[in-house]
Amino acid sequence: MDKEIIEMLARRAGLQKALAEFPEDVAAAANQAGDVAAKIKPVDPRAEPWPPMRAGEEL
Amino acid sequence: MSELHWLSVTKAAEAIAAKEVSPVELMQALLSRVEKLDPRLNAFIRVDGDQAMASAQAAETEIMAGHRRGPLHGVPVGIKDIIDVAGLPTTCHSKVLQDNMATDDAVCVNKLRGAGAIVIGKLSTHEFAIGGPSFDLPWPPARNPWNPNHHPGGSSSGSGSGVAAGLFPMALGTDTGGSVRNPASCCGIVGLKPTYGLVSRRGVFPLSFTLDHIGPMTRTVSDNALMLETIAGHDPLDPGSAPSRIGHYGAALERGVKGLRIGFVRHFHEVDTPATPEVTAALQHVALTLQMAGAEVRDVTLPTLGEFGAVNRVILQSEAWSIHSKWLRERPGDYALFSRRRLMAGAFMSSGDYVLAQRRRREMIAAVEDAFREVDVLLCASSMDPACRIDDTPEVERTYPRQARTPFNTTGHPALAMMSGLSSGGLPLSVQFVGRYFDEATVYQVARAWEQAAGTDKKHPPIV
Repeated sequence: MDKEIIEMLARRAGLQKALAEFPEDVAAAANQAGDVAAKIKPVDPRAEPWPPMRAGEEL
Repeated sequence: MSELHWLSVTKAAEAIAAKEVSPVELMQALLSRVEKLDPRLNAFIRVDGDQAMASAQAAETEIMAGHRRGPLHGVPVGIKDIIDVAGLPTTCHSKVLQDNMATDDAVCVNKLRGAGAIVIGKLSTHEFAIGGPSFDLPWPPARNPWNPNHHPGGSSSGSGSGVAAGLFPMALGTDTGGSVRNPASCCGIVGLKPTYGLVSRRGVFPLSFTLDHIGPMTRTVSDNALMLETIAGHDPLDPGSAPSRIGHYGAALERGVKGLRIGFVRHFHEVDTPATPEVTAALQHVALTLQMAGAEVRDVTLPTLGEFGAVNRVILQSEAWSIHSKWLRERPGDYALFSRRRLMAGAFMSSGDYVLAQRRRREMIAAVEDAFREVDVLLCASSMDPACRIDDTPEVERTYPRQARTPFNTTGHPALAMMSGLSSGGLPLSVQFVGRYFDEATVYQVARAWEQAAGTDKKHPPIV
């Protein structure tokens, strides 16, 4: 992820303070997120997420 | 009678009920050992010595009067410091919650107390059960009693270290990506992550709602089953709690493994994340021992560890961000470096990433369920290496993800880690047994067969 995108996403997430005080940690977190998400295989288009949708008893 | 600090939960409870050991005598022995060893181990954030002694005195009075509260009456228990104990701070080992006083017991603590257990204190953890080991926090990280220069695993570090060192015979840990089973593996004890929803999470600081589990940590398999029996059960006020009946988890302990079908997930440690030769040899030895004892062992294939890890990480970090975002925005400097980096990662995950991970998770659950149509229990690696030095940060970072525990947080199946042997350097090696949903009894049955064959319950660290 390039620096400008990281800074833009960090500001959008409200991490201005972290960006000012710990820019290396913000960059490490962003790169970690990008790397890990890319490792998940595409799923069957019909696959639903877990946990299943379940209406509460009180509804 | 063996030394008091090595008494198992079961033996201690029996000796107390038979009035052969007084709860006061036991608590005094353990507090003396804590005083002597904990400055080297840092298993505790807070020793609650006065209250523990007062409770031990009360237990003694009750027992002498013929009143036994339950199967754990008078037995000390340590509590990971992300779990509420009324009247004590729940710090999560963090500056952020340094003064966070708990007003009520967590449900699991309440159940332990109901059975007569006595809380000895609050235990070290990786900060918020995710970032560690860290040296930039108000308390030092726990250390491994087999060699205090080494990491005890985490995040339930103090629980693993203290149980293994004989500071208390049982402890509560929590497990979101392997945090009960990692310290159990590093410290050579027994740690179970139960089926998702079996133990209430109410009163436990969350890390990731759909991955969090509370689990028992002990030195023996039968102690672990007894502790699970105490803390399991439906809680209508925990939205993740399963409406299941409490099983008799120790029912099959002595049945052996004859006729059981065990699926060996070799590709985890042979292909996906190759283990050290000592870990591989120990796993092979476990499989052969169980086969010789009458189990049918066959190979089983599941999705790769890399993908299980990615799904777990995306879900964990997305959910954790939703919990920590306010504090990370306002006071990022109050977190240690490890946790700041890991928790902020969630800010960079998209909703698409999270939903994709949850959808892939459903497919992974189906894959593990398919395997359980062919076998009764899975056998696989836990850690791919023995514990590394705690001060070797690059090695901690390299070895931490080299494990096979996160698959079963992702799928919710019960999974137990325990000692498989000792390395040439004298550190514990580990094995993991995994069962069908709510079939902890069969997991314990296999674990007990291995324990009996290998004598793992009699191996203690040399620390004095």
